[in-house]
Amino acid sequence: MVESTAKLKIEDLKISYGDKQVVHGISFEIPRNEIFGVIGPAQSGKTSMLKVINRTIDFTANAHVSGNVKIDGEDVFKVKDVYGYRRRIGMVAPLPVGLPLTIYDNVAFAPRSFGLTDKDQLDALVQRCLEQAALWDEVKDRLGSLGTKLSGGQQQRLTIARALSHQPEVLCLDEFSIAIDPVTTMKIEDVLKELSSEMTIILVTNLVQQARRLAKHTMFLLNGELIEEGATDHIFSGKASNPKTNEFVSGAFG
Amino acid sequence: MSENEINSKRFTKTSLVLKKEFNEKLAKGIFFSMTLAMIVPLLLIVSFLIYKAWPSLSFSFIFDMPKNGMKEGGIWPAFLGTLYLVIISLIIAAPVGVMAAIYLNEYAKDNWLTRTINLAVINLAGVPSIVHALFGLGAFVLFAGMGTSVIAASLTLAVMTLPVIIASTKEALSAVPMTFRQASWNMGVSRWQTIQRIVLPNSISGILTGIILQVSRAAGETAPIMFTGAVVFVPIAGDEVLAYGLMDKCMALAMHLYTISTQIPNVPESLQFAIAVALLGVVLLVNALSIGLRVYLRTHRKW
Repeated sequence: MVESTAKLKIEDLKISYGDKQVVHGISFEIPRNEIFGVIGPAQSGKTSMLKVINRTIDFTANAHVSGNVKIDGEDVFKVKDVYGYRRRIGMVAPLPVGLPLTIYDNVAFAPRSFGLTDKDQLDALVQRCLEQAALWDEVKDRLGSLGTKLSGGQQQRLTIARALSHQPEVLCLDEFSIAIDPVTTMKIEDVLKELSSEMTIILVTNLVQQARRLAKHTMFLLNGELIEEGATDHIFSGKASNPKTNEFVSGAFG
Repeated sequence: MSENEINSKRFTKTSLVLKKEFNEKLAKGIFFSMTLAMIVPLLLIVSFLIYKAWPSLSFSFIFDMPKNGMKEGGIWPAFLGTLYLVIISLIIAAPVGVMAAIYLNEYAKDNWLTRTINLAVINLAGVPSIVHALFGLGAFVLFAGMGTSVIAASLTLAVMTLPVIIASTKEALSAVPMTFRQASWNMGVSRWQTIQRIVLPNSISGILTGIILQVSRAAGETAPIMFTGAVVFVPIAGDEVLAYGLMDKCMALAMHLYTISTQIPNVPESLQFAIAVALLGVVLLVNALSIGLRVYLRTHRKW
């Protein structure tokens, strides 16, 4: 079997909540081990798409999904162990969420829930994840204090450390920078560049320039339709195939 | 306006500011006097009761048997009976109520069945206690054949407190931010693990408060136990703690107070007030416990 370069392959994905369809049949591929940017104004179906990818859409009672979503050629809706599957996908929400636990327990929460109890292994894992999220130096002396007491930017990095704690293959970031300061944003962007060598990163962002800085490929969604997808250089060149893309990336609307 | 005029007005109070300050003081004053108006009757009631009850109040009053056709002596069987009823009814109602609330708040989908159940819970919480009494009489005493007994009365009290426990527990659970649950689910943690490790530890103070407040309600109600388990007099030894069996009839403070004040002639006035003080004491003690617990757990709140 020839290994495809695509990590995720999405075909004709449709999502609706009740009577309201929010994603109208989009198809695209997300290449392995690189940053994949998703841009588009509010209400364009970006977050719903991420919820399908990690299957937390299951928790939304009136959601209806059709189409194919394949990870490494495997249909995610036929996954038997859905908890084990979610573990393969890291998810970072727009607003930082420090769980009401200590910093250490925040990061050790997911591994523990899967049965890792060995103290040395947990210690090493917590340190590695916090280091990867560029937070270790700031919190290493107070791992026992509450995660909810950290500043917003630190909590967002804690969220990233938590997403890394279950060693995901795909890391989804949903507008991670809307609630944090520019300096922290730059720190996290550096982290992401480093991580992209070992995992696939889906970067949903409201800052088109962020996608331009980081992503190798970028997709532009508008009202649940895929307008254009391609190499980031091309999307931002001003010579994109669809005039709407040019307008959006140059800030004409959105 | 010249620059000087503007500068001189910048730090003076205009009529608008004065009006604003007056309204501020007025509002604060009204709200404060309403708060006082709440406390004054409570203090008056408590001090009046204690003053009237003083001749009969003593430590042995609680632990003695009623004597001389209940015109003298203590209230031990009634005190013990109230403890029995409250504890047994809570042992039944608290776990059922908390678990039902967890289901309704954490698992149930928003469909017509859930909405109907929620509506039923809210309406049940508003049912008058005498209606619960008749239900208890029909269901437990007669239909289930328990007779008038401690268990029938406790079950009736449990049915009465259950909807309020469900409602208050649901309230406490839904106060835990949804984002905590989502963050936990995103990491492949199951719903039950999330409830155990995130939701319950952060809502336990609210849940306990809701339960404990029902203690005072169960202790104070006369109607639900009148037909189902409480009787006018049961002779038990003064030093017995396990005096009542589940199928026995028992005495209860609220019932005792009612009997003494209305059914028996020539009872010294102070005795009636002393029983009221004992009842009020039990209720206030439980409330103080709940407040203390809430304060303790709130200082340990984590977000």
